[in-house]
Amino acid sequence: MLSEKHLPAFYALGALLLVVLPWILTAANSSYLISTATRLVIFAIGAVSLDLLIGYTGLVSFGHAAFFGVGAYVVGILAFHNFEDTTVLGFDGTLTGLIVLPLAIVISALFALIIGALALRTKGVYFIMITLSFGQMLFFLFVSLEAYGGDDGMMMFEGRNVLPVIDLNDRITFYYFCLAIFAAFFAFCHRLVRSKFGRVLAAIRQNEDRMTSIGIRPYSAKLLIYVIAGAGAGLAGALMANHTEFVSPGLTHWTKSGDLMIVVILGGIGTLIGPVMGAFVFLLLEEFLPIIFHELGMDLLKEHWRVVFGPILILIVLFAKTGLYGLIFRKNG
Amino acid sequence: MLDIKNLSKSFGALQATENVSLTVNEGTIHALIGPNGAGKTTLISQISGYLTPDSGSITFDGQDLLALPAHKRPHAGLVRSFQITSVIPEFTVRDNVGLVLQSLDNQVFQVFAKAGSDQAERAKADAILERTGLADEADSRAENLAHGQKRQLEIAMALAADPKLLLLDEPMAGMGVEESRNLTTLLTSLRGTTTMLLVEHDMDVVFSLADRISVLVYGKIIATDTPQAIRANRDVQEAYLGTHELHQEDSA
Ligand SMILES: Nc1ncnc2c1ncn2[C@@H]1O[C@H](COP(=O)(O)OP(=O)(O)OP(=O)(O)O)[C@@H](O)[C@H]1O
Ligand SMILES: [Mg+2]
Repeated sequence: MLSEKHLPAFYALGALLLVVLPWILTAANSSYLISTATRLVIFAIGAVSLDLLIGYTGLVSFGHAAFFGVGAYVVGILAFHNFEDTTVLGFDGTLTGLIVLPLAIVISALFALIIGALALRTKGVYFIMITLSFGQMLFFLFVSLEAYGGDDGMMMFEGRNVLPVIDLNDRITFYYFCLAIFAAFFAFCHRLVRSKFGRVLAAIRQNEDRMTSIGIRPYSAKLLIYVIAGAGAGLAGALMANHTEFVSPGLTHWTKSGDLMIVVILGGIGTLIGPVMGAFVFLLLEEFLPIIFHELGMDLLKEHWRVVFGPILILIVLFAKTGLYGLIFRKNG
Repeated sequence: MLDIKNLSKSFGALQATENVSLTVNEGTIHALIGPNGAGKTTLISQISGYLTPDSGSITFDGQDLLALPAHKRPHAGLVRSFQITSVIPEFTVRDNVGLVLQSLDNQVFQVFAKAGSDQAERAKADAILERTGLADEADSRAENLAHGQKRQLEIAMALAADPKLLLLDEPMAGMGVEESRNLTTLLTSLRGTTTMLLVEHDMDVVFSLADRISVLVYGKIIATDTPQAIRANRDVQEAYLGTHELHQEDSA
């Protein structure tokens, strides 16, 4: 077991691995897995953003995929109108990444502001239920958008967003683009949780009732982190839409919120790097468990690989309170 | 400095605060005594905004306190401590105090300033820990402190907010003799600069510190007077002090 002193080295090694991954995969004749690796870094952005809520603030948000979906739909809708040469709310559609991506962040932040402003008036189980409800509301909203494919969703016929200099339609370039955004977002969160604001979040998690007496309104602090986390998830969603060149209501389904929570808990809440590892293991299992069961001739399990995944998750959480992180690192002091 | 008028609050059928009027003058230490369950904590909670009164008014420093949200009251100089210790368990002692300093400096939303590398804050926090006798424990986690030290931290957090009016809810409860004596000395040193409303069961402390004393029984103030007058007050003796410390003091 490693100590938390080894974290910087662990980060460096992880970063190095992610940077050389495309070469390794190409050399191993498995370059189809670059797509999985891209999904990993995108998924990790969403998981890290959720950890800000669950792990650092003690807010068990069960509707986080909603913001993921909003970010994705901003990309999808603008691409759709660009293709159709029509307007949405008076604006032309566009594929210009420098417009689309910031807009996806801003609009998902706005949704988080509205949903958070309401949901954060509740606590505990009620908060879990209300975030779940808002997530499902958005799901049905997207299902009802017939113009954008209803529950079938829609394709981005003209390909991914367009950026100056770099070509996102190139598989490897797109991987590095997502990796760079992930790295920036991770660094931002790392800084944030160690900031003065991060200290307030930790205090709220441990003793919310005391805050008022020292002049802090927990609601405001929680709303800010909710908006930041929502924006992060929206960013991840925007990247995912670009990745698959397809958006559908399924992105916001409550099971996706559940997946994100699983990843955060599996990896270790309140650690940032834990959820990244959680995303890695989750995608690995998702990719390979069905194949393994197929090879073993257990096709029933192949369909329902989650039946196996569930107990694995429970075991890990039982044995290590802080998930995979807790299995690898001993807490300092 | 603090003017409470006709304040009432009930929990269902229980009238915990009944038509309470009370004035705390600037620069004084005003003690609030009364038997268990009299409604002392309930009153403190209404002044600090943790509970909303059913009726009545509270004026602080000339402003209508009930119109001021609870979290803004510490910024206006009104700070409370808790009878039941309430600290941030996983924080160090210094961080507990640092958090209060941060809040009162309006730095709650500083997303980039690194916590713990603010030297000015650290120096301020250490000075407060020095005064409250916690200097040696600055780096300990709050949850690992002895009970009496947690009580001291509770006071340190209140003092860190640099209050004009300090509401102390049984600050000595759970402290050792030595700690209690030190706190009495500390509070004495604040006399004149910090106005205090002090809830306390230890009559030695009350009579050595208080300029005025109010007696609360079953939600009602039955007397407000100087310590000497309270000591002599028949109603007070009957309703509350009857066979208690006062007689011992009188005969001593
Ligand atoms: N939140 C509440 N809901 C219902 N009843 C309450 C509540 N808080 C206090 N009470 C009741 O109100 C009365 C006054 O309680 P309070 O805590 O204010 O007394 P106190 O004077 O501080 O007593 P002590 O000396 O034991 O601290 C008690 O009978 C108590 O049971
Ligand atoms: Mg009390």
